[in-house]
Amino acid sequence: MIRLSALICMAKGNIFAVSGAVFLAGIMLFSVLASAAPTRLVADLSESHVDITSDYHGTELLLFGAYEGQPGDDLILEVRGPASDIAQRRKEQRAGIWVNVETWVWQQVPSFYHIFATRQLDEIATRDALMNVGIGRSALELKLVAGESGGGNGHGGGAPTATNGAIIVGTEAQTADLDRNMQGIGLWAKQENAISTQQDMLFRANLALPSNVPSGDYKIRVVHFRGGVAISERTTDMNVRKAGLSALIYRFAHEYSVFYGLFAIVFAVASGWLAAAAFRRS
Amino acid sequence: MYIYLPIAEVSMHIGIIIGLGGGVGFLSGLFGVGGGFLMTPLLIFFGIPPAVAVATEANQIVASSVSGVLAHMRRGNVDFKMGGILMIGGVIGSSLGVVLFKFLQSIGQIDLVISLSYVVFLGIIGALMLTESVRTIIRSRRPGAVRGKLHQHNWLHGLPLKMRFRRSKLYISAILPLTIGAFVGILAAIMGVGGGFIMVPAMIYLLGMPTSVVVGTSLFQIIFVTANVTLLQSIQTQTVDFVLAGLLLFGAVIGAQFGSRAGVLLRGEQLRGLLALLVLGVCAKIGYDLIIRPEDLLSVELLR
Repeated sequence: MIRLSALICMAKGNIFAVSGAVFLAGIMLFSVLASAAPTRLVADLSESHVDITSDYHGTELLLFGAYEGQPGDDLILEVRGPASDIAQRRKEQRAGIWVNVETWVWQQVPSFYHIFATRQLDEIATRDALMNVGIGRSALELKLVAGESGGGNGHGGGAPTATNGAIIVGTEAQTADLDRNMQGIGLWAKQENAISTQQDMLFRANLALPSNVPSGDYKIRVVHFRGGVAISERTTDMNVRKAGLSALIYRFAHEYSVFYGLFAIVFAVASGWLAAAAFRRS
Repeated sequence: MYIYLPIAEVSMHIGIIIGLGGGVGFLSGLFGVGGGFLMTPLLIFFGIPPAVAVATEANQIVASSVSGVLAHMRRGNVDFKMGGILMIGGVIGSSLGVVLFKFLQSIGQIDLVISLSYVVFLGIIGALMLTESVRTIIRSRRPGAVRGKLHQHNWLHGLPLKMRFRRSKLYISAILPLTIGAFVGILAAIMGVGGGFIMVPAMIYLLGMPTSVVVGTSLFQIIFVTANVTLLQSIQTQTVDFVLAGLLLFGAVIGAQFGSRAGVLLRGEQLRGLLALLVLGVCAKIGYDLIIRPEDLLSVELLR
């Protein structure tokens, strides 16, 4: 087992190409030794630290691993980013123009939430089974606080009906609205039929991180399903950090904001002066 | 080549940023305006968060006003006393504006207020400029037209706290430039502009300043107003992205050179007419976006 996971870690980037024979031998040995349930599962990703540097423009990671599968088995992969409060607003037409009339705040929502699966989720397991293992937006049981309201008559669909300030669990419709909005800005996604498997042993999926990826700690969870039942799961970590110059500037702006502001002014005055000098000479 | 903007927290192609700077720089060189009223909506259009667009544009205007005012200072076209009074008003106004900005942001209405301010002020200024330039063009084709009175006195000139402004040849109440400075300062902070397009007509028509000193004096006070906005936004909202500002400025400096050379080819009233059409075009685009039904009535914003 240890040997197998070491092998997989070594094979970062292009796992299928790496010494298949040795690999298969290892797997065969491993299936003989481990015929009894629960099945084993290993997962890793091509990079467990993602640096947002000055030339960052989104990146693609490879999520991969091995499982003890049988024909007909399924995998679901869940990537969950750091929690953040999220304001959701609803527009209505007032005096001819579209204005935000209502705001509600979702509490501690995963700022990034991508689900991958070998098939359609509803083909893999029942809704209840998915809920039990905590997969899918309904399983997040997101709560919201209703804010200043323009009546909340539900024009846009899913407007909260609670009184102001009360914390309520979002309904299915409200969570679906949040899902649609988060997918719109590229932070949530559900990609069914997006895990490719080989010989019920190896799996891989491509995780595309957008350029607006939130920084923080990420949890990656793989769940192995057989006959609609989760039989094993494995979690691994990833983190996304601002690095290099962009991290330095961000920290400067947030931790020494007065100096940052003064610096920005001095920088502007100096470059304006330089520009005038260059302009005059030519 | 993409560059990740550390404060805006989005990545943008470096060619687009410099191209935007260059294009707006060309127009500002051509028309002799700051260009903030074009740049801020364009940045928002290209996906920069509105708060970052407004604050960063203030930072860039500091630079472009410094480079602009130097030429006017050499020609003695800056009324420092008037500029100083306008500046005091402007610093007070823009400070209020930044507070108002933060408040509107917290209640989710900042985008609406930015858009409405653009529609209202660009609409008014554009319409006034267009009628004025059309009238001038028509009049210049009819020889022997009568010149209007240069300087008119009204109730505004009866206010107390009178001061003498030698360079502008004026003896007027300081309350007037203070109020104008404050009003334009509020708009500058909310709209991410220098406010020259409001300040210049106000100086000519409300204060009665000679046209030779208005642009230099307006640029002089804009430096302080936008510097104040830069500092206060840095402290309050951390939305000034000086990497973005620097790249925009780089493009703008080059664009402005070509623009001011192209400007020589056109006559003053023709330039003003074209600028009026440009201003009205931006106004119409922003107004249209307010009226059409959004694709999705719901929107999300990550809070930190």
